[in-house]
Amino acid sequence: MNVFSKLAVTAGMSLLLAAGVAQAQSKTFNVWWFELPDTSQAKAWTKALEELKAKHPDVTINFEQKTFEQLQKAGSLILNSDQAPDLLEYNKGNATAGLVASQGLLTPLDDQFKSRGWDKILNETNSQLSKYDANGIYGSGPIIGIPVHAEFVSVFYNIDMFQANGVKIPTTLAEFEAALDAFKQKGITPLAYGTVDSNAQHLLYTLALTQADDTWVKSYQGLKAPLDTKPFLFAAQKIVDWVAKGYISKDSTGLKGTGGADNLFSSGKAPMFVSGTWNNGNFASSIKNFKWSQFVFPTPKYSTASTGNLFMVPKSAKNKDLSYEFIDLILSKENQNLQANLGGVAIAADPASVTDEVGKRNVELFNEISGKGGLGFYPDWPVPGYYELLIQATTGLVNGSTTPEQFADRLKKAYDDAQAAQ
Amino acid sequence: MEKSKNSGRAGYYLYILPGMLGFALIVLVPLIANFAISFTTWKGIGTPRYIGLQNYERLLVDAAFWGSIQHTLIFIISMTILPIILGLVLAAVLFDYISAQFGETLSSFFRAGFYLPQILPLTAAGVLWGWILNPIGIVNAVLKAIGLDFMAQNWLGDASYAIWAVSAVIVWIQVGYCLVVFMSGLARVDPSLYEAAELDNASWFGRFRYITIPMLMPEIFVVALTTLIAALKVFAPIYVLTSGGPDNATTVPSYLSYYHFFTTNRVGYAAAISTLQTLVTIMLGVFFLRMQSKQTEGER
Repeated sequence: MNVFSKLAVTAGMSLLLAAGVAQAQSKTFNVWWFELPDTSQAKAWTKALEELKAKHPDVTINFEQKTFEQLQKAGSLILNSDQAPDLLEYNKGNATAGLVASQGLLTPLDDQFKSRGWDKILNETNSQLSKYDANGIYGSGPIIGIPVHAEFVSVFYNIDMFQANGVKIPTTLAEFEAALDAFKQKGITPLAYGTVDSNAQHLLYTLALTQADDTWVKSYQGLKAPLDTKPFLFAAQKIVDWVAKGYISKDSTGLKGTGGADNLFSSGKAPMFVSGTWNNGNFASSIKNFKWSQFVFPTPKYSTASTGNLFMVPKSAKNKDLSYEFIDLILSKENQNLQANLGGVAIAADPASVTDEVGKRNVELFNEISGKGGLGFYPDWPVPGYYELLIQATTGLVNGSTTPEQFADRLKKAYDDAQAAQ
Repeated sequence: MEKSKNSGRAGYYLYILPGMLGFALIVLVPLIANFAISFTTWKGIGTPRYIGLQNYERLLVDAAFWGSIQHTLIFIISMTILPIILGLVLAAVLFDYISAQFGETLSSFFRAGFYLPQILPLTAAGVLWGWILNPIGIVNAVLKAIGLDFMAQNWLGDASYAIWAVSAVIVWIQVGYCLVVFMSGLARVDPSLYEAAELDNASWFGRFRYITIPMLMPEIFVVALTTLIAALKVFAPIYVLTSGGPDNATTVPSYLSYYHFFTTNRVGYAAAISTLQTLVTIMLGVFFLRMQSKQTEGER
């Protein structure tokens, strides 16, 4: 046997082995999500995985912990390959879910949605981010993802510090600024803020939403027209003013929201932190020395809020039935109540069954926001790359390298490019 | 006779074949594909659409791109020039002074210590430095503890300090590589040269200038070439430490290309950045190799 024959035999054997492995893998249910292990969602979903395993002892369950950033950046490439899992949690919005949906990389779930009764659990409002049209714009088209929780940005506040400094929960933007000033007068930097990650845009967009009406939100999120920058200009100016007044530390540009600014709040150094409900698990378990709660940032109607990220079944998934069964489990009343009782914002929990203080408060606050139709979504959704652009530009506002006008221009240029390119 | 010579040559090509195949698959094909993609608009999935030179036209007026080129020049200083200078001085000190005065063991200890950052996974080193340099990190804590509050800065979050903080980390990473290469180079220098210089009352600096540097010229060229290429495509330290921030103050072409590829979904534009970057790197590489071959010819 010459060298080439040996090589050919080796290559042939490798192919056979690979085929064998692929065969074995069809008995494996691959599922990915990026919620951190200490969150209520991850705990509830892990419980559902155990139930799935009990129902199908012959199936190997292969769960992989991903990060939000990983899927934000490489998700579309993975979904476009044969390496996609059977089920994954994926970021909702035009630039992410919309992009992969428009390329036909996902399994349409309309039939399952009806036949499995998911339509009874998720009403029209809660499923509007599940549909994307041929251009990848949310709101219409086939259902490609299922939300099983909700999330919103609110103000986490330190009750003890509020009481000690005689500060009341603000109900208007002017009162909010007065509260910031009251703390500053006492030598306390009132806002924990980190611009190295998405925390940068949560405060910024929340401020923009104080100036936003229905038309602006719909137009902005739906890429309906060139960007009207007025709300962003207002928000940018506020950030600059708050830095100048010392309500926000310049050090914010060196901190992440998760793993930086959140620690300033949980260690009792900062009385307020404007961030999302994904902090609940961490705060509930790590804050021992003071009482804390949340209030909705005072805006006329809209908050930075939405239904949660979506569970999707890739086109190339090998075990679609198991994926649907898992979605059944995590949408079930038991699992939803469990999620709420672990402090999460469950999308279909029975309020009467929620006893956990944090979970109860969050379900109530979310109902307050969604009850007035105030889901303002997230600022990075409309445009691919906006996530990073908002981080960089907001950082520029805080460290003084970008003026509010330049900030608005940068946002407008990228937005109008994307809007024109549709 | 002639025939046997040729058949012998053909035998050599067989040995080169696996390497060439690997090179073609891993370097050449993606390079050509990247070049082709740079003339298209493409989201990374779906079908690319040909748009001619539009990506390059846009690139020429993109402030972020030109800013990233400026930052690259700074990183050439911190990845090539400074580590070579520091590496030379340290190699000479360890070889000529520490080794002679305190023994080989201490010299090896220092050499290993300086080389350690090269062994550490870059992401781990980056995360570590991220903690050290953040506003509530150990550097500022120490400065405040010893009463130097005014020196405590937002090292990675302030646009005026970030590029220098990242540069300092890069110098820390690179010095060990230069040092080890230079010390191995010094091992082949004939000791009698140093002895003769000492007999002629040459100072340490004189020996360093007239013996160490000229004798290490081949190593300096190799290190300069490899570190220069590394500087032109620097990515990992930027990604881990600052993600190109604050406000694009540390963006480099590699990161910009990555950003457009993975976040704005402008794959064609990202490919155009990569193509331009590759051209600059090849031109500088060829220039350096020419210089080096001229130098070795001069030595002959």
